[in-house]
This record gives sequence, C-alpha cells and structure tokens, in this order.
Amino acid sequence: MERSFESWEKEVIRCIRCGSCQNVCPVFRELQAESTVARGRVKLIRGVITKDLSLTEGFISKMSLCLMCKACVTNCPSGVKVDKLVEAARKEIVDQKGLSSLKKLIFRFILKNRWVFDTGMSTGRILQKLVFRPGPGGQGMLPRMPLGIDQRRLLSPLASKPLKAMYPQVVKVTNPRLRVVFFTGCMINYIYTDTGRAVVNVLNRLGIDVVIPKLQNCCGTPVRMNGDYGTAREMARANIDVLLQEKVDSVVVACGTCGLALKEEYAELLQDEPRYAERAKHLGKMVKDFTELVVSLGDFKENIGELPLKVTYHDPCHLVRGLNVKEQPREIIKQIPGVAFLEMKKPDTCCGSGGSFSLTHYELSTKINNHKVEDILQTGAEVVVTGCSACRMHILDGLHRQEAGMGVMHTAQLLEMAYEAKEGIKTGIKI
Amino acid sequence: MKPEIIQELTKIVGEENLYTTLEDLYCYTYDASFLKADIKDLAGVAVYPGTVEEISMILMLANREKIPVVPRGAGTNVSGGSVSIGDCIVLVLKRMNKILEIDKKNLIAVVEPGVITGQLQRKVEKLGLFYPPDPASLAVSTMGGNVAECAGGPRGVKYGVTRDYILGLEVVLPTGEIMTTGGRTIKNVTGYDMTKLFTGSEGTLCVITKIIVKLIPLPEAKSTMMAVFSEMEQASETVSEIIAGGLVPCSLELLDNIYIKNIEEYAKVGLPVEAGAVLLIEVDGDSEILSKQIGKVEEICRRLGAVQIRVATTKEEAEDLWLARRSAFASVSRVKPTIIGEDATVPRSQIPVAVRRIQEIAAKYNIIIAILGHAGDGNLHATILTDEMDREEAARVEKAIDEIFVLTVELGGSLSGEHGIGRAKSKFITLQTGEIGLEIQRKIKHALDPNNILNPGVMFGV
Repeated sequence: MERSFESWEKEVIRCIRCGSCQNVCPVFRELQAESTVARGRVKLIRGVITKDLSLTEGFISKMSLCLMCKACVTNCPSGVKVDKLVEAARKEIVDQKGLSSLKKLIFRFILKNRWVFDTGMSTGRILQKLVFRPGPGGQGMLPRMPLGIDQRRLLSPLASKPLKAMYPQVVKVTNPRLRVVFFTGCMINYIYTDTGRAVVNVLNRLGIDVVIPKLQNCCGTPVRMNGDYGTAREMARANIDVLLQEKVDSVVVACGTCGLALKEEYAELLQDEPRYAERAKHLGKMVKDFTELVVSLGDFKENIGELPLKVTYHDPCHLVRGLNVKEQPREIIKQIPGVAFLEMKKPDTCCGSGGSFSLTHYELSTKINNHKVEDILQTGAEVVVTGCSACRMHILDGLHRQEAGMGVMHTAQLLEMAYEAKEGIKTGIKI
Repeated sequence: MKPEIIQELTKIVGEENLYTTLEDLYCYTYDASFLKADIKDLAGVAVYPGTVEEISMILMLANREKIPVVPRGAGTNVSGGSVSIGDCIVLVLKRMNKILEIDKKNLIAVVEPGVITGQLQRKVEKLGLFYPPDPASLAVSTMGGNVAECAGGPRGVKYGVTRDYILGLEVVLPTGEIMTTGGRTIKNVTGYDMTKLFTGSEGTLCVITKIIVKLIPLPEAKSTMMAVFSEMEQASETVSEIIAGGLVPCSLELLDNIYIKNIEEYAKVGLPVEAGAVLLIEVDGDSEILSKQIGKVEEICRRLGAVQIRVATTKEEAEDLWLARRSAFASVSRVKPTIIGEDATVPRSQIPVAVRRIQEIAAKYNIIIAILGHAGDGNLHATILTDEMDREEAARVEKAIDEIFVLTVELGGSLSGEHGIGRAKSKFITLQTGEIGLEIQRKIKHALDPNNILNPGVMFGV
C-alpha cells in the first residue's frame, strides 16, 4: 500500500511551532516571511491535509522554496522530518496535478534513459563552446548570451569525455585487498571527471580494484525531490540491478546526495515491492562515502607528500546530515603535511545550491551563497575542499561573482595531489 | 480587508514588505502556544515596517479604520499573544533588527525590537558585559517580544527577569503617537513608571520600537553540578535549604522521574532511571569563590539525601551535565506527539506541595504530566504529554489545566511566571487580579487604546 498524503498528519502534529527552525533555515534567513520557514511549511501541509487549503499555485510555490538541506530536521527539538513532509507534498502535487511538460521531458525521457542522456551530453559538449565563453583563470564558463540563466552565472563545462568512457569497466591493481563499485553520479561522470579520476586513482593506490559499471544511471534524487515517484522508482530498481550484479565489498560514492539515495532512500521508495525491498536494504548496507572508506584504511596516511596550502572545508548537506560524514574529510585534510586547515564559521550551512533549486530560484540561491562565500573568504584559505559536485559548482560561481581567485575541489582531488607531491609529480590544478 | 487599506499600507511599507496571499497569511495563525487559530482567524494583511514613523502611520490608519493590529516578533509566544485574529493587520517587527549602541561607560545597550536576544548576548559578552534574561527561545526570539512578554528563564533565580533590565523604551501608542519612557539612568522617578507598565503588557498598550537595556559585568566563571535524589520531596526540600542558606545559584533546575526516564532512554547521559528527581545547579561569580560555593551546595544536597552527586571539573563536563537538561524536551516529545508546556509559578516554599498536587491532578484525569522547573524561583513547567488527535483525551487535558490554574492561585502563586496570559489564559485572569484589579487594568487599556485595536482579546478576553 502506497502511503497516502493524509497519513502524514501523524508527523505534522509533532511540530510544536517552537520556531527553532528560524535559526537555521537558509531560505528563511533571506526571505523572513513566516511561510518560508520549516514550521510554516509544516503548517501549510497540515492545512492541505485538514482541507483548510488546497493545492493552489501559492501552495506549490511555497513547497518549491525548500533546499532540502535538512538543517531544520537536525535542529528540531521534536525531530520533525520536515524534508520528508515537503517531499510528500511535492509528490501529492505531481499525483494530483501532473508534472510540467519540461520536467516530464527531463525526468521521464532524459534522466531515465541513459542513452538519451549520454547522446544529449555528447552533443552538448560540442555546442557549449558556441554559447559559453571560458571563465577567468580557466575555471568554469560563462554564458555568452541570455539563456534564461543569469549571464554572470559561472557554469562548469561538460567534460570532453565522460568518466565512464575514460575507464574500462574494471580498473584493476595487482594484489587487490578490496574490490569496490564506484557509483559516479551524473556530475562526476559528465562534468567533474577530475573528481572521478582522483577517486579511481586514490583507491587504486590504496590497493583497491574499482568497478565502474557502464549501465549505472542517475540516482534519481532530482526526480524524487520534485515529486515524480514513479520515475524515481524505475531508476532505483535499475541501479539496484546493476550495482548488486558486482561481487564487491562496498559501493563507493563521492557525492552525499547520490549516497543517501543508495543508502536509505531506495529502501524507503521500494519498501512495498517484494522483489526489491530487501535488495534495496542490502545495497544500502554496502554504501560508503569515499572519505569513509579511505579513513577506515588506516594506512592512507602513508606516502603523503607535502602541500603548502591553506585549506577550508564545506560540509555538503546530504553528506553531513544525510550520511553523517563530518570528521572523515577533515581527518584526511589534516593528515597532509604542510596543509593549514582553517575551519570556516558554520561549515555545515547550505551553500544555496539545492540541486535544481539553484536553476529555478537563482537569485535566492545566490543570496544564500553570498553568506557561504563570505564565511569562506574570512578564513583566508586558498582552496575550498568539499564532498559534493553541486556544492563545488555553486561555490565556484559565488567566488567568481565576488571576484575571489580561489579553487574549489573534492576531498579526493586534494588527497590525490598529496600523493602526487610525494612522487614529485607536479599537478596541473590551478589555485 | 478593503483594497484601499492594503493600498495605503503598501504606500507606507512598500510592496516587498507586505503579504496578502492565503498561504502567507495562514502562517500567522499560530505561534509557539497551544492555541489553535482557525482559517476564520486569517489576517487581512501582514506588514513588516522598517521605521518607527512607518509604525506610527500604520497605527494611525488602523485606529482611524478600527482595524485590529497584532504585533509579532519571531512568533515564539507561548500564550497565544501573537496569533492572528480575523481580518487584522499582523505587524511584524523583525526588520527593525539593529543593535544601535553598546555603551560600556554607562553599562547600557540600545536596541531595536527585532534584535534577536541571543545575538545581543553574544555581542555584549565579547565586551565583558552581560544581559542575563535567558528564555529557552533566545536563539530566535526577539528583544521586542521579550520585553512585551517580560520573558524569564533559568537565570531568573539569581538575575531576575527582563523587567529588571529595561531602563527605557520608545513606543508607538495605539493612536499613533510616538512616546519615550524612562531613560539611560538607573535612578529615575519622574512620573509613573511607564517602562515597567509597558514591559509585560503583551502588545496590548503599545508597539515597542526601541529598548534601552541595563547591562552588568560578565561573571568571571561558572561551576556546575548535578544531584540525584530518590524522592521528589528531598529535591524540593534541598531547593528550599539552598535558598534559605543564603546561596544564590544562577540556575537551579528540577527534573522529575518522567523526564529522567525519558532523557536517559533518549540521550544516555547516565541518570539512574529509578530516581525521583534531579537537580541541576550552576553557580557563577569570581573564580576564587566558586569552589567554596559549590562545596556548600554539595554539602546541603548530601545532607538531604542525594544518592549521586556529579560536580563538573572542566567546561566539557559541565556541558555533559547540561546535556541532560537540554535533551529534556526532545526526549518527552518522543512519548506523545503533542506537548503542552504550562507555566504556573508558586512561592518557592510551596514547590513540594505544588508538585504533589499536580501529580494528583494527572492521576485524576489519567493523563501524563511531567514536571521540569526553574525550581529556584518557583517557576514550574508542568508538561502535559498528549495527542491532540485524541479528542476525548484533549477534553480531560483541558480540565486538568483548569485545575492547575486554580491550584496555583490557591498556593499564593501566579497563573504565569514568564509565558504571559495572552489569549490562552485570559479567562482565568480574575482568579488572580480580582474584579477590581481587572477593572483598573481595563481602564488603563481604554485610556491608551480607546478603540481596542491593539492585540484585542489578549489578557482581557473577547
């Protein structure tokens, strides 16, 4: 039995409207209207359940104003799962009103069908030079003409070759001590192949065989968060089939959002499907963030070279509050000789990206990002390290807007640089 | 609300500071109280003014048109004083959020009403100064709201409440005039003490637009201990002995067995689950005298039968002890979905009786009432754990709450220590004020607000 929207009333009444969420909600910090904070969203959802309200355009727009950053959930004295409630509301909207035709095209045709996605991305890679110009210092690119995207918006270009095309299905080492599957996720596969390469290289160095299944899909989170559960389930089932085919010790992710989907959300999505419920749970138990796996191998500290760098770290929402990975990346950074680790104020506050949120609410997402960039600049660091490609792109955009010449990279890249420093390899990463 | 009024308001505050959609307004039908506002209580408009002049214009307009105005800060009110009432103007003060000055020479600060209490505290503490009132909501609640409600907190036992720190105010009267009260001096007896009258007036007499607060030097250090008792009576007795012994801790918090069990289950802080009560005690002051003070408190706890005593020797250990208190709320919210925090306050010597009688009321109506309190100042927070979807139980809860109010007054206490009367307790007010007392208060209200536009229904009912 699929859970009815009305059944969420049990969760809704647990909100005692204390208002603690006002202290942490990044959207409320900018907009200040009561309807834009977690307890307001919960009240609105309750209003629809009790039929005071209905699924009006106004309600739909309020439900879209949530980054799903989970800050309110962690901070809530009663532990109300606000993110799950907003997701349930978005699902109800899609169930009752259907998807917009653009979202239908993106979710149900492109993201779901790997070959369409692949073809689109390879065409896009050629066409992007016509409409984008290179950003300063070789990082990112800027729109040449109005595209419905702010012309100051720094986007990262599609890689000349997707990650999956750069490697064989299995990247082997001699005498492996572990064998893992690498779930790349879309951004690492199509845009930030440098992160993907670093993950593979580091794992190989640590004596791990890395399997990169060609048939893996988008994790489905963007689709699910927009309420299209039917498509999200299909994508989940396809990924479970592909990932569980491999005989491996762990499934490694380098993105908190993909990681949370695989680790917990697939099991929730598929709990009523006899064939998949157990398999989803089984997959969930195998999922590890890249930094979790690395730190669990105590000997990653050996053969690290010196990097004279000032580094700060941004906690991606779904990595820190979803997968509870907070200490591991810091442990890796602090192990590197020469690195000065400078913690920023509130490192776990959302950068404002929120995946597709930054495309649909660019102005707002920029304002949220400005606070993050201020906190970053205050540290005096030269490099921002993070564990999520969406954060990386959004923070890079923010740094560019404020004309700060800083680099943003994944934890795996910093670690790779440190290993290479030991071997005397000069890295090409610009700072 | 008539479109002409909305237009006029838009001219005053600007389009971007005014809300009229159903979804926006629906989110002002609640505050942090248990009071339920209905869709019929939907406001006509919510405005966020930025200056005292704008507020003055809004109130003049409202007074002319006889439109009710509900002032609101962060909406953390726990007595229903900031929920909308049908077709009113919700006046949100959050945009006026500047700390205007911190005057180290005169030990005062001047702030706008939308300043968040915790932010002011952090800022003055960096300068070695201290603004003590510490309501549980201080991370989000505003200074304007704290003054309007005369907020308290655990430190009340030693440092008093908001009222004790307000030297002067700038307010807008319901008829639109701007008025100042008090000033920047400690001593000030010119005329009636309007500052004290407005502090705790719950948004019924004026809208507060500027606040002059008194600061004190920040105590050098703190020392924290926890004492566990097998019987509630021993703990209550200990509280009386500590006070009678001339010791004034800065916090003296009491947790009952229901809290202890749930906290332990939830946060695993090492509390004996069979214990009847726990006292969490903190003393502050010069570091040389702290160990002597905590030693005396420890001695009293032992003498009165404490079965376990933990004195924190480091900051981290003190944090661990406070963890129990801070987990209190989250731990009981897992037991039942709806939590109602009451605020009855009794003379300190009556705490043992009050606790026993509240437990009897819980048994009589077969509901769960947990007790946590700022025991040092007699402020008990009887916490009712219930499920609002269970109508039959809700009726019993209501009767129990009525009885707790009657009991409080009977014991010489107050209907509310720090939450306010608001709309939630207005029907009980005469229990404490008497008919004459209420009549005089009504006359004051009428003198300032002849058309009853400012927060009608609060304190005096409808």
